[in-house]
Amino acid sequence: MNIAWKEMKKSKAKFMILGSIVFLVSLLTFMISGLANGLSQESAGLIKDLPAGQFYMTKEADQTYSMSRVDRRIQKQILSKEKDATAFSIQMGFLNDGDGKQQSVAFVTATSSKQFKNVEKGEIVLDKSMEDNGIKIGDALTNNQYKGKFVVKGFVKHSKYSHASVAYISMEDYKEIYGTDEMQLIFIPEGGTVPTFSGMGSFSNQQFLNTISSYKSEQMSLNMIIWFLVVISGMLFAIFFYMMNVQKIGLYGILKAIGVKTSSLFKIMWTQMVFITVIALSIAIFLSQIFTRVAPTGMPFSLTTETTVQLSIVFLMIGFIGATLSGLQIKSVQPLQAIQQGEV
Amino acid sequence: MIFKIDNVKKSYKNGEVTEEILKGVNLILREGELTSLVGASGSGKSTLLTIAAGLQPASDGQIIFEGKNLTSMNAEQVRKIRAHQFGFVFQFAHLVPFLTVEEQLLLMLDVSESKLKIREQKKEVDKILKLVEMDHRKHAYPSSLSGGEKQRVAIARAIIHRPKVLFADEPTASLDSKRSKDVMTLISHLTKTLNIATLIVTHDEEMLSFADHIIKMSDGQILQKV
Ligand SMILES: Nc1ncnc2c1ncn2[C@@H]1O[C@H](COP(=O)(O)OP(=O)(O)OP(=O)(O)O)[C@@H](O)[C@H]1O
Ligand SMILES: [Mg+2]
Repeated sequence: MNIAWKEMKKSKAKFMILGSIVFLVSLLTFMISGLANGLSQESAGLIKDLPAGQFYMTKEADQTYSMSRVDRRIQKQILSKEKDATAFSIQMGFLNDGDGKQQSVAFVTATSSKQFKNVEKGEIVLDKSMEDNGIKIGDALTNNQYKGKFVVKGFVKHSKYSHASVAYISMEDYKEIYGTDEMQLIFIPEGGTVPTFSGMGSFSNQQFLNTISSYKSEQMSLNMIIWFLVVISGMLFAIFFYMMNVQKIGLYGILKAIGVKTSSLFKIMWTQMVFITVIALSIAIFLSQIFTRVAPTGMPFSLTTETTVQLSIVFLMIGFIGATLSGLQIKSVQPLQAIQQGEV
Repeated sequence: MIFKIDNVKKSYKNGEVTEEILKGVNLILREGELTSLVGASGSGKSTLLTIAAGLQPASDGQIIFEGKNLTSMNAEQVRKIRAHQFGFVFQFAHLVPFLTVEEQLLLMLDVSESKLKIREQKKEVDKILKLVEMDHRKHAYPSSLSGGEKQRVAIARAIIHRPKVLFADEPTASLDSKRSKDVMTLISHLTKTLNIATLIVTHDEEMLSFADHIIKMSDGQILQKV
C-alpha cells in the first residue's frame, strides 16, 4: 500500500507548505541566477557568445588586453596561416546622437571574420539596445575624436561589453579615433591543435574572461550570491524535513512496532521528498521560463535551460541529502517510546 | 505450548546504580488461552510484555516461540516474527492518522506479507471488521472515531494477519466500564475462535473474569499463578 501517497492526500496543507517553501526558494534562486547571468552577459556578452577557441595577446601586455598591441607583421603572418583567425580591438568610448545626447559604447573593430560584424568606413553597426533607446537606421552619430559622422547601418542582438552597447566600426575609423591600427587581440576558433606564436600569450575563452579583472570580480560576487542562496535553501530544506520527521516520530514508532521495515519508512520519506521537490521545481522552472519571455528588454536577465537543469539537480540532491540526514532519526526511533508516549 | 518466557531478567542503568526491574520471570502462554497479568503500578508488567513481544531486549533469560529463542535473534529476524506472528494492542489505539479504518488493516496485511490478492484482502478486512462490529465505519479516519471504536479497530489490526500470539497492555484503560467489557469480551472471544495465545495486562479487577489464567506480579517477580 502506498502510505507515502495516502499521507500526502490526507495532510495536504502540511505538504503544500513544504512544497511552497521549496518552490519559493528555488524560484528565488532561478531568478537571481537569471539576473546574475544577465549581468554577466552585459559585462562580457561579446566574448561569451564567441565559439570556443584561443585568444592571443602580446606577452608584454601582461594579461591586460588593453595594453596589447599586436605587431602588424605578426598579425599578417598569423592571419595568413590560420584562415579562420581574426584580429580585433575593444575600446570604451562615447557616441553623440543628433540631440547631442552622449552614450557610452564599446567600440569594436575587427579584420573580416564570421564572429564580428565588419563595416565600411563611416558606417556603424550597434547593439539592439541602442535601437530600443530610440536610434534608427540611417541616423548620424558623432564622436569627439572623429571628424566625420557615423551612419547607423544596422543592429545586432546581444552584443554588450562592460555594460555598454557594442558599436562596430571600420579599422580606418578606429585608427582615426584611437591613433593606432595595431589590433589588441587575435582570436582563432577551435580547430583541434592550439597553435603557438612567439611573443604571444594564448588564452582559452574562460581564461581570457578571467584576465578582465572587472568581469572576474563581478562574476565572483554574483556566483557567491547564487551559491549562498543554494546553501541557505539546502539548510531550509533540511530544517523543514527535520521538523516533519520530528512530528512523525510517534507514527514511525507505531509503524515499527507493527513490523514495518525501517527501509520502508525511508522509502516513504524519499517518495514524498522527490514528489514535492519535483512539483515545486517544475512550477518554479515554468514561471522563471515565462519570466525570461516577458522580462522587460532593458533588464539584464538570462536564464539558460542548462543553468536551470543544473540548479534543479542541485536542489534535488540537496533535498535528498537534507531528507536523509534528518531522516536518520527514523533509524533510532524505538517502537517502545512511541507506545509509552500515548496517543499520536 | 507455543510461547515460553524463561527466567527473563531486565535491568536499567540509572546513572551509577543498576535497577533490576524483572528478576527472573517464568511464564507459559498456550493457544486458545487468555492469560491476565496483574500487579501494582511499577511492578514490571509492561516491561515484561514488551520484552515478550520483542519490542525491547531482555538483559538475561530466553523467550522461546515455536522452539526458537527470540533473544538470540537479530533485529530483522525479530521484526519478521513481530510482523507475521504477533499482534499488539496498547492502552491507546495508536492508529495511523492518515489511513481509513479499512486501510489500517490492509497496511497490516501488507506488513505481514499476506499472500492474498487485494480483493481477497478486502474481503478479509470486511470479515474482521464485522467481528469487531466496525464494518459500518470502514471508510472513516481515526480522528472521527470514539475511543472505544478506535480500540476495536486496533484490536482488528492486531488480529487481521492471524497472529499466533496477541499482546495487550491495558487495552481498556481509556474506556468506560461498558466499553471495557465489550472489548474484553471481544478479545476473549477472538482468543478462543482464532486459537490465539493471549497475554493481557490489566488493572481492572472486573476484567479478570475473562481470564483463563491470572498471574500476579510484584516487584519484578511472579507472586502467584491462579
Ligand atoms: N526505560 C526505562 N528506564 C528506566 N526505568 C524504567 C524504564 N522503563 C520502565 N522502567 C521502570 O521499571 C519499572 C516497571 O515499569 P513498568 O512500566 O513495567 O511497570 P508497570 O507494571 O507496567 O506499571 P503500570 O501499571 O503503572 O503500567 C518502573 O519502576 C519503571 O520506572
Ligand atoms: Mg504498564
